[in-house]
Amino acid sequence: MTSLLILLSLAFGVYLLAVLEAWIVNGRFQLSRPVYSALALLGRESIIPRKPDLLFFETGPIILLIAALLAAAVIPLAPGFIIADLATGALFLNAALAYVLVALIMAGWGPNGAYAMIGGWRFLGQLIAYAMLIVMPITAVAMRAESLVTTEIVLSQSAVWNIFYQPLGFALFFIASMGLAFMPPFDMPTAKSELAGGVEAEYSGFRLAIFRLGRMVLVITLAAATVTFYLGGWHGPGLAPWVWSAIKILLVTAAMLLVGKYLPRIRESDLLAWCWKLGIPLALINIFIVGILLVVIP
Amino acid sequence: MITAQAIFIGFFGIAAVWFGVVVFRTFSMVRSAIALLFSQTALGAMFLTMEVEFLGVLQIMMMATEMSIMAIFMVMFMMDPGGMGEMDMTHQKQFSLTAGFISFVGAVAVAVFIDWGPVSTVAVDSVEQTKALGFELLDRSMLIFEMAGITILTAMIAATAVAIKPASKTSQPKSSSTAHGDHQHKEQSK
Repeated sequence: MTSLLILLSLAFGVYLLAVLEAWIVNGRFQLSRPVYSALALLGRESIIPRKPDLLFFETGPIILLIAALLAAAVIPLAPGFIIADLATGALFLNAALAYVLVALIMAGWGPNGAYAMIGGWRFLGQLIAYAMLIVMPITAVAMRAESLVTTEIVLSQSAVWNIFYQPLGFALFFIASMGLAFMPPFDMPTAKSELAGGVEAEYSGFRLAIFRLGRMVLVITLAAATVTFYLGGWHGPGLAPWVWSAIKILLVTAAMLLVGKYLPRIRESDLLAWCWKLGIPLALINIFIVGILLVVIP
Repeated sequence: MITAQAIFIGFFGIAAVWFGVVVFRTFSMVRSAIALLFSQTALGAMFLTMEVEFLGVLQIMMMATEMSIMAIFMVMFMMDPGGMGEMDMTHQKQFSLTAGFISFVGAVAVAVFIDWGPVSTVAVDSVEQTKALGFELLDRSMLIFEMAGITILTAMIAATAVAIKPASKTSQPKSSSTAHGDHQHKEQSK
């Protein structure tokens, strides 16, 4: 029952994200737009390119969707409102999100097209940039909670949210999660202007619909993870816990879209250089500061 | 007695072996790498079925990135990475068959004849497992893990250092085919 409710709220979240994306990026606020877009995608012919690796072509988008859903399973939206409260929740989130890379490589290699293939391998380079900046801030979060259980992580923030306790970690995680969800300005694998859609280029019809759905679930999941790790999860005055979760997730999503709207697409080599030369030292400093804070203020 | 746990362990075990076979049956390098990934993921799932949560999740996480990076190296180094050129990339078949058979017999012999000690039927609580593993890594086994970590780091730095072209050589091109050389050539002919 809980699982069904969470899946339904995830579906509603995806709908709101679609409305929000059109509103923030294109300046058009239409509540019916996602429905029409989905119907249009489902109604169109789904073309299979010549000489594809059919197995990869078909399973790539599905693995993307499954990876995002599995990651969402360990995120608590309210006390007890979680699909699987694993003892290694924060680690499991990483494990599930690692398969986003696998999905994009498969979807890029499958259609036997140059743009798609470049997009897929580009994401591998992107992973080498962002991966440490996802894992190391989570390490600092787990240090404070003294647990990998996501529910415990939220409970550890009942007094002070992690965004105030470790703002550096929040900034790094926020940027890295945008990289993971390949949102602008990190949309190298699906760059419209450079690669004509990249990984998305050879997909059409219902297969493209699954791919886009997977990406939207991924964005919502990462926003929810940011809320869980840094913005106190369901904590908040007055309203019901799940309402607070929903408001915070939508605000984080909107912030991600707004950042992407005003920044130009970054170059792969620049992203790698900044992440490794600046990001990883900062992440280590963050772990060090949190370690000292934990010893000084018990 | 056959429990649901045993059935799942068997299922994931067969899946791991099957994907392992696929690695050698396909000619596409990416398919081969991804098949190896799913073989390892099935092993991770076996850990999860045996209620060893941390190790299972770690296995599933680490393999995804490692095998993907291996895939791009295979694509870069092989002549026919897509396997569409129908190029035979196998060699030393007789030797490989013999070596493979001997290793298989050896592995089975180890599994059958070794004294595994008392088998625990009840798994420790997952949170306790993670905690115990943490203490193990930073207590008794710390030296071994730090040594392994530093060795790997040294190898990585050394490999990168070897791969980088010395800057002094690239800034002074010797051949006349480069832009700089052409320029000089024209200057002389004038």
